[in-house]
Amino acid sequence: MRKPAFLAVTGIVSLGSLTLAACGSNSPVNSGSPQAGTPITIGVSVSLTGDFSGDGKALVQGYDLWATDENAKGGLLGHHVTMKYVDDASSTTQVVTNYQNLITQDKVALVFGPFSSLLTIPASTVTNRFGYAFPEPAGGGPSVFTRGIHSLFFVQPAPVEDNLVSFTQWVLSLPAGQRPATAAYSTEDDPFTQPQVDKAKALLEAGGVRTASYKVYPAETTDFTPLAQQVIAANADVVILGTQEPDAVAFIKAFQQQHYNPKALVETAGPDQGSDFATKVGSANTEGVMVPAGWWSSAKTPFNATFVSEFIAKYGGTPGGIASDAAEAYSVGQVVDQAAKKAGSITNAALIAALHTGTYQTIQGPMAFDSVGRPSGASFLVQWQNGLTVPVYPPSAAVAQPEYPKPAFSG
Amino acid sequence: MTLILEAVVFGVLTGGVYALMASGLTLIFGVMRIINVGHGALVILGAYLSFALLRSAHIDPFVSLIITMPAMFALGVVLQLVFIRPLKEDREALSVLVTYALALGIEGLLGFLFSDNLVQLNAWYETASFAVFGFHIAYVYVFGFGLCIAILAGIFLVLYRTTFGSAVRATMLNRTAAQLVGVNVDRVSAIAFGIGVSTAAAGGVIFGMTNAFNPGSHYDLISRLLTIIVLGGLGSLRGAVIAAVGMLIIEDVTAVVISPVWASFAFFLLLVIVLVVRPQGLYGIRVRERI
Amino acid sequence: MRSPSWIRAAKWAALVLVLAVALLFPAFESDPATVNIAVFTVMYVGLATAWNIMGGYTGYVSLGHAAFFGFGAYAFGLVLAHLGIQAGYEPFLFVPIAGVLTVVLALVIGWIALRTRAATFVIVTIAMMFMVQLLAENLVGLTGGGSGLSFPVPPWTGDFFDTPFYYAMLVMAVVSLLLSWWIRRSKFGLGLLAIRDDEDKALAVGVPAHAYKLTAFVISAGLVGMIGAVYGYYVTYIYPQYAIDPLVGISLVLMVFLGGLGTLWGPVLGAVILEPAQLWLAYNFGASLLYLVFYAAVFLVVILLLPRGIIPSVGDLLKRIAARRAVGPSDTASTSDAHTVAGVPSP
Repeated sequence: MRKPAFLAVTGIVSLGSLTLAACGSNSPVNSGSPQAGTPITIGVSVSLTGDFSGDGKALVQGYDLWATDENAKGGLLGHHVTMKYVDDASSTTQVVTNYQNLITQDKVALVFGPFSSLLTIPASTVTNRFGYAFPEPAGGGPSVFTRGIHSLFFVQPAPVEDNLVSFTQWVLSLPAGQRPATAAYSTEDDPFTQPQVDKAKALLEAGGVRTASYKVYPAETTDFTPLAQQVIAANADVVILGTQEPDAVAFIKAFQQQHYNPKALVETAGPDQGSDFATKVGSANTEGVMVPAGWWSSAKTPFNATFVSEFIAKYGGTPGGIASDAAEAYSVGQVVDQAAKKAGSITNAALIAALHTGTYQTIQGPMAFDSVGRPSGASFLVQWQNGLTVPVYPPSAAVAQPEYPKPAFSG
Repeated sequence: MTLILEAVVFGVLTGGVYALMASGLTLIFGVMRIINVGHGALVILGAYLSFALLRSAHIDPFVSLIITMPAMFALGVVLQLVFIRPLKEDREALSVLVTYALALGIEGLLGFLFSDNLVQLNAWYETASFAVFGFHIAYVYVFGFGLCIAILAGIFLVLYRTTFGSAVRATMLNRTAAQLVGVNVDRVSAIAFGIGVSTAAAGGVIFGMTNAFNPGSHYDLISRLLTIIVLGGLGSLRGAVIAAVGMLIIEDVTAVVISPVWASFAFFLLLVIVLVVRPQGLYGIRVRERI
Repeated sequence: MRSPSWIRAAKWAALVLVLAVALLFPAFESDPATVNIAVFTVMYVGLATAWNIMGGYTGYVSLGHAAFFGFGAYAFGLVLAHLGIQAGYEPFLFVPIAGVLTVVLALVIGWIALRTRAATFVIVTIAMMFMVQLLAENLVGLTGGGSGLSFPVPPWTGDFFDTPFYYAMLVMAVVSLLLSWWIRRSKFGLGLLAIRDDEDKALAVGVPAHAYKLTAFVISAGLVGMIGAVYGYYVTYIYPQYAIDPLVGISLVLMVFLGGLGTLWGPVLGAVILEPAQLWLAYNFGASLLYLVFYAAVFLVVILLLPRGIIPSVGDLLKRIAARRAVGPSDTASTSDAHTVAGVPSP
């Protein structure tokens, strides 16, 4: 080791650490109640770059719209709301750093959740450790709830693994002569998709529907033709696919290539993306495709019509083009607003206590949470009919009869 | 059984695309002794160029190659002059870092221009198909395969039938000796890099028609391409072609026989087995390498 | 060449100063957000130093060290789960087990990868990393697959939580530095440097090259695995794509090249500069999509302008100034010494 260089380094290292130390602030974390009427900031880490950036941007739209509405009504319990977003680039290290920074450096009053279970889980341990309530719109995989985090609330009607339950109930409700005998399953290896498909498989098998094929494929797969061929070879009556939008589209294209038409086709995500999905597969090919959904643009839930018109006024587009992510984010705000009113406070402890009791009205419908933040409702089965998605099951929510068997793809 | 036969046929058809992309990568290594970690990003860049032309001017993706391949050739020459040539010492290690930085830069730029949403190149032959052996093959795979064969044949012709080709092969064998016998090694390097990058454009179009892609797709792609060229033997075009087709067949057959989640693993496992038996790869020659 | 006594005194003073600052850091910095950045920074100091034992001293550039990082995290998480260790301080005692398991993996990987040299070695390490990642994804019964693996969560409050992890990472960094320092001075280290300069010549003069390379590889991997274990416990939840992240592997390499390949303090300097900068940039500017482009540009400038890293370049500069003052006879000798240290054997 040459000495002059060594000295230079140690100098820089010490200076660096000292600067790092000096620029931090020593005041304690904000845990008390903000003064009445003072403005507050709500912090969110979202994926604005990376693989989840599409969903991340939709979350921002939903949160922003809620904040605007809330401020127009006089703010959250009288506090003017400002949203602060930071980018986690879909990385664990960054999401942990971001929530630490939001809470201790920016001293935000509240935090809302990021996109996907994979980021929600590490983020929720950070927010929990600072005693913050963590209402989140997009992390509902089974592993989110097994950690017993009391301050987390998943603001969707049903835990993710229950999404396909209404589909299986519909299948098993069909009269014996029409009921499908076989089912083929193919799912991405992902905490969002696979638990749904596995649960549907267990329920259908229990109901007497034979499994003709079951395949799990890696989340990084980009060429879906070989996978589609395996589904086709099984030649089952119904096809259940654990997909996100890209593979949802790719499977339908491959089925078209191969002139394959199952009697029913349900995909965990993709067909819920409205006009974007229709453009990608061709609107004629959407007919009869099913998807579980907690929210759709024509839902008759309180305030939903206003949400849709405000959304279009603010961001443009059509009702069919609104991503459900945005509605879920908006619901997070609604839930927090009602909890604050109920508790008469916006301290995190009061919000956590309030959220564990009672039912909350959102544009996704009513919602209640158990001790680990799991919602108690069920999701609905939605089907594309004549270029629009309409709820078809359960009958209490249905506005149309399920179309069965599904018409053939247009080729 | 039909499924396995089908997997083999698709392995060959998609293997052709990987052969094309890998041949550009191995050519660059052979001539310059550098690993172009940015090759995957350049493939994705090629796909996006065609995507832009398709979206704005409705140019068929295959036809757009008339524009994108020369453009990417020029880009390759410029990249070589600006970023690769200045590396004097420790070339192999530093070239990895430089080309990796290029990949990041391309990824960031594409994300800025096109967003991170997945896209795919569309054309009529993408969903149209014909029946053979009791299953359907989409025209896009056949057209893509045909194009790959044509371009690969072109590269082999240039390498083995022209004076420039002899200069390239001489440089690949021994850079210093080639210089001594009057080969302008710098010029050969720049042109070889350009050719490698323009094959990336062609590979990108075919890849983009059969796969959904976004700016981050290059990580997955480059790891496969690097595995292919090591398996084939670094710098060996013939090895790259055979390794690409072989690996894709193994991958597709594994997906059918075992499970899709083990398909890529089989691909890497094959590399390990070959390395244990033949550390220089299938067609590599044992050279005294120095870092 | 022995240095004058005042330089040696200054060297010790500086070392003590750095250690004191590092040790006392959480005491005079109570903001958890800053300590959090410090945890990741010290983590990278350890990682870069450990990588340098292989990459810097032998010249074998591994881009796959993320495999050992993630493997260590997974091994640690599984050990804790199977032994039923409660969250708290106790898990830290089991970190060495993760290190031992990583060493076993590294022996297998190293044995295969080190059959190749130079460019092939680089690529093989990448392939090995993806294999480990695929195993983490596919062995669902063991690892939880794509749904990830949870660690027990320590009951500490937010204000204190980062401090134990800071010290755990500091211990790992100091151990790595001590090993790196000791290896550089040992006969083993000389052998490694000889391999870097010319492996065939080293073999010819009787350096047991294969055993030496494998030993360096395994030491380096074991340290990285233990640091990965602490990381997993810190973030409390890991999943394959981010526990075994190619970007971690490449960040290490960039840090080492920036600071100075094959030097003792280069990796430290690189990590202290790059990691806080990266976390800070992403937090403040991440939303502007051009940050990757910006990062790439910095990257390119560093490599093209400072291909040998800061320490060798600055060292040369200082030496030239000193030489101009002293005009001593040791001038030529020190220049050649600088070349070897920089990891750039003159051709």
